[in-house]
Formats: sequence, C-alpha cells, structure tokens
Amino acid sequence: MKHNDTLLPSTVKNKERRSAILVKLKHQKKVEKRKNAKVREADEKRALELGEELPPKKIPRTIENTREIDDTICKPDDEELFAGNDADEFSSILKQDFTPKILITTSRFNSTRGPAFITDLLSVIPNAHYYKRGTYDLKKIVEYAKNKDFTSLIVVHTNRREPDALLIIGLPDGPTAHFKLSRLVLHKDLKNHGNPTSHEPELVLTNFSTRLGHRVGRMIQSLFPQVPNFRGRRVVTFHNQRDFIFFRHHRYIFETKESKQAESKGKNSKDGKEAKSKEKVIARLQECGPRFTMKLISLQHGTFDTKGGEYEWVHKPEMDTSRRRFFL
Amino acid sequence: MPRTTTVESPGCPPFRALTADVLGLVKVIEIRGEQSGDTAKVVERWGEPDSSKSVLAASILDRKTDPLLGVARKTGLIEVISVINGDLRLSIPNVSQDGTSPKDDPITGLHLFKKQRSESSTRSYTLLTCTTNGSVRIESFEDSKSPADFIRDLSPTMLNVCGSGNILCSKVEEHENYALFAGKGVEVNVWDLQKCTKIWTAKSPPKNSLDIFTPTWFTCATFLCEDDHRKFVAGTNCHQVRLYDISAQRRPVMSVDFRETPIKAVAEDLDGHTVYIGNGSGDLASVDIRTGKLLGCFTGKCSGSIKSIARHPELPIIASCGLDSYLRIWDIHSRQLLSAVCYHMFLHIITGNLDLQENFCFQESLGA
Repeated sequence: MKHNDTLLPSTVKNKERRSAILVKLKHQKKVEKRKNAKVREADEKRALELGEELPPKKIPRTIENTREIDDTICKPDDEELFAGNDADEFSSILKQDFTPKILITTSRFNSTRGPAFITDLLSVIPNAHYYKRGTYDLKKIVEYAKNKDFTSLIVVHTNRREPDALLIIGLPDGPTAHFKLSRLVLHKDLKNHGNPTSHEPELVLTNFSTRLGHRVGRMIQSLFPQVPNFRGRRVVTFHNQRDFIFFRHHRYIFETKESKQAESKGKNSKDGKEAKSKEKVIARLQECGPRFTMKLISLQHGTFDTKGGEYEWVHKPEMDTSRRRFFL
Repeated sequence: MPRTTTVESPGCPPFRALTADVLGLVKVIEIRGEQSGDTAKVVERWGEPDSSKSVLAASILDRKTDPLLGVARKTGLIEVISVINGDLRLSIPNVSQDGTSPKDDPITGLHLFKKQRSESSTRSYTLLTCTTNGSVRIESFEDSKSPADFIRDLSPTMLNVCGSGNILCSKVEEHENYALFAGKGVEVNVWDLQKCTKIWTAKSPPKNSLDIFTPTWFTCATFLCEDDHRKFVAGTNCHQVRLYDISAQRRPVMSVDFRETPIKAVAEDLDGHTVYIGNGSGDLASVDIRTGKLLGCFTGKCSGSIKSIARHPELPIIASCGLDSYLRIWDIHSRQLLSAVCYHMFLHIITGNLDLQENFCFQESLGA
C-alpha cells in the first residue's frame, strides 16, 4: 500500500472543503484514465502497423463474468437431465405429438394498455385464442381449457391500468409459472416497426443455464410450434440475463454488403484504383411486435392453486445473499 | 441488498442417508470423517432413470445385520433392497390381487416390519402396504433363491381403512402394534394391527365463528414418541398442525397454524415434544407441540416444497428434501444449515442410516 500523501476525503469534516477535494480527486482519476486509454491505443496502432501481435486485450469485469458458480447448472452430458426431460410435462408437446393451442385471458379488470397487449400477443404466438375473463374462477377456467384441449393458458394480469404479471399454466397438470412484467413497449409504439406475418416463428432461447432455467425454457418452448418456417424469416427471442427474461420479436433478412478493403489513410496510389471489394453477408433486423421484460416470481408444481399447492421454486428474500447469484 | 454474505457452515457429523426420487433412482449420500471441509456427496446410485418407475413410498428397516429398504413404485412394483450394497432381495410385481390396477390406486404407504410374523428360520419379510383407496394389506414373503421368486403368505391380513376419500399418509408406530391412516376426506384412524380393528377415529374441530367448516384434508402424520401410541401429530392442507391424544378426546388437543401453504412433511424429535414441519413453499420450522409455540424456522435458501424430513436418532441433525432438488442437513439446536447436496431431480423420499461405526436409522416418511 503506497503512502497516501493526499488526505482521505472522508476524514475532512467540512463539507465544502471535502467536496472540493473530491472534485479534484475525480478529475485526477479521469485524466489518468484518458492517458491510459491513449497509451493503449497508440500501442495497438503501432503493433498493427508493424505487423506484430496486438497486446492482449483486457476483459472488463462484469457481474455476469463473476457470477457465483451454481451447482444446478446443467451439464451437457447429464443423462438424468435427459431422462427428466422425457418425463416432464412438456415432452409430449416438444416431441410434436400435440400442436400447442394457447388460451389467453386476463384478470377481471382490463383496461388501457391491456387489450392492446393482448392483440400483440395474439399476433406473436401462433394458434392462440383470446377469451374474455368474465367472472370465472381461475380454477374453473383451467378445467374448461382442459376440456377443450388447450395445451397452455396465459393470464395477463393488470394492475393500475398497466399489464404487470403473466401467469403461464401448462395443461393438463403442468407447472404454473408466475412472471412479473415490466418495460412493456407495444407494437404501435415502436419506431419503424415491421409487420408480423403468420409464418411459424423461430424461437431463440439464450442463457437458461440452471436446472430451473432449463425447465422454464422448456415451458416457453412448449408455447410455440416446433416446426419453424425459416422462409418466413420471423424470430422470437427470449434472452435471459441476470434472471430477467427479455422478449423481442423481429423479422430478419440476409443481405450481402460490399465493403471496400480498408486502405490506410492518405495513400492514394495509382495501384489503389482497383479497390478490392469484399462481400460480407449480414442480417438486418426489423423489430415488430411488443417488447417486454419478464422476471420469474414463482414456479408451482401443479396447476394454479396458491393455497393448496406446492411450489418448486419461490423467491424468498433470504436467498439474495449475493449480488452475483442468479437462479435462472 | 447486502453485497455478499457468506456464512461459514459448520462441519457436519458423519452419517449416511438414502433418498428416492421421481425417476425411480435410489441414491446414497454420505459424509465421512470429521473434518469440517467434508461435504456430503452422492456415493451410490441404484436403478436406471425411468419415470414410470418413480418411487411413491419407502420404508427402512434399520438393524445391525442386514438393513433393508423397501420401495414402492408407481407401477405397483415393490422392491426390497439391501441398504449396504443395493442388492435386490425381493421384487413383488403387484401386491393387490383383486384386479385394481396400480394406476388408479397407487400405493401411498409402505412399512417393513421388524418382527417376523411367522416363526420360520428362512428370511422372511413382512410388509404393510396402503393404497389410496384405503386397502391395506399385511403380507409376509419368504425369501428364496432369486428375487423374483418368492413364496407368499397364504392368508394376508386385509383391512379396509376408509369408505370414501383418499388415504394420503400412514404410519406404523415403533412397537408395530398400532397404525394410523389419514387423508383427504378421511379423518385420522388408529387401528390395532394384532386384532385388525379400528380403535379410534378423530373428530374434526368445530365450525369457527363464521360458521365455516374446513373440509378434512390431512397430508402427513407421525406418532409423537416411541413408547406411546396414543399421541400423534398430523398436518393438514390448511396449514395447521394438530396434536391428537387418543386417551383424552376425539377432537385435536392442540392446533398450531403455520404460514400459508399446506404442511407437507412432519417429523418428531426424540424428546417427545418437538416436531419439525415442512410446508409447500419450503419453510421448515420446529414447534413445541405441548404449548403450541413455534420454536423457530430453519432459514437457508430452501425454495421448493419440502417433501420429507428425517431426524437422526443420535446426532442432533435433521435432513430435508424436496422439489427444489436439494438435500439439506440442518443442526437442530442452532437451526443452521450444515450442508446441502444438489440432486438435479425432484426428490420424493429420504430415509437414512449410518453404516461405518454406528448403525442408526434416519427414517423419513414420504409426504405425497
């Protein structure tokens, strides 16, 4: 530890002087950081010019990098995982024995953004049907849905005129997942939005690494048909990061883009007239459909039964012992 | 939210426990040695993962020579396995012979008797099986050369425990003279096994002040102590734990309310007045049943419903397993988590015994 000849700001009791010292300290740090960055850039440029190896790039430390290792992370060679997958409630849908048929309904009061969200959801998920809630009990709705051969039930719960929770119930005895919704942007509010077609979408589920995450991922997968229509160029993404699941819906198109080979600046030689063009294939995305974020609150083992049911996973505040610990 | 809190879990004394899960596997976990760095590990695994053979009930017979574990599977198959090396001793395809298929009438309780019923010198096993519709059979089987070949007792004892409703829990007391059965729509019954008669039925508590009558739904039950068959504790679906005393009255003597989800597992302590209860959202607590006071909760990241709890007969530890696929070991007095083992699969039952130096039986009953 080098000897600090500058005063530690927290020991100064006078607020004005203390804040002045802090400002100076921050400025110093900023100047140093900029200097370091310039030195690094100069090093890289020089290495490029000389054709040497680039100095190793430093990896920034992020919370995802420093995530606590969890025992329940699925390993690729776990045969119990596969046996468990065969045995769970979604296996019959995922093996394409049944096509998914979804029933969407809402909580008893539904206003303002709720109906617009429901129409967006109907356009995203193929083979989805909307029924008004009326005054039916949720347990009765589960029975009716079972009689009519639905495979999943989605309930959009509205609070203060804004959809804020999503209940996904697998049928016949599937698990019930309760998600909290946030950051909802509707289809009409997106800038330059595209229009979704009715082709079956491709599904992208990323970063569901633990057992719980795997189960939730399979549940989401069971909402969509398993035969994506690649020609339709439509993709639905559920990306899990830090226990938040981000939902995006895009249409994509592959294009070839010509890019001239990079010549260093200032060289305008006559040989350079034949500029070599390198073709690159890139994918352009156009967002369509809603955009929202979900967070899992609880996963219950049977169909909806808060009083009599047993929970597979319920979030408890005593589980948040560390900022680097995530469950999905 | 705190940045990081790491609580050093104190070391766990050595023991051995057996668990059975929804894929039909029986696993043995052990902690050997006294060092605090030792964590519990799965040492053996018996069976192949197959969800049609998921284990519904288990019973351990812990004795110094030849400890046995009986498991009842979803297909109606009952197997008796040696605890030490997993050898299959006996395999009974379908206990009931009157044509009911095991799918409609799954087995909910199983008990391996310690005393031999018959006086034969060959090894024989006596089993009590209880199904959901209430048919209870006590049969003896004799061991012969291969596990699939056995000689059945010609006159099994059969009882019909309930007329309507489903039996969800059953327990045989230590001296194996009495057994209790309870379930959904079925009040707690106590039967005398020697005479095969019902000696006592519970009465539900009176309607509360709003005239609301909660339907009977017992999810787990246990006798309170070894010597006394008259007192037992039952947990209900309405998050209540009730103490019944046969010699006192038919209504519950003491009732304790615990949180909001159904009580899924109950285990008694050796001192005869503490019980450990686990509920559907993963809360484990210890209650003094004489006064009805909640002694404390076991906090420690248990996020799934607790299916079954076992208490070590000598060391002050208990183990709990459940739907969050972890087996957790707790210290009784400090209510601290000692160790946790991840199973990657829903656990249904845990029974345990200790080999090595001491032979102890760490029995947990299934909370279906």
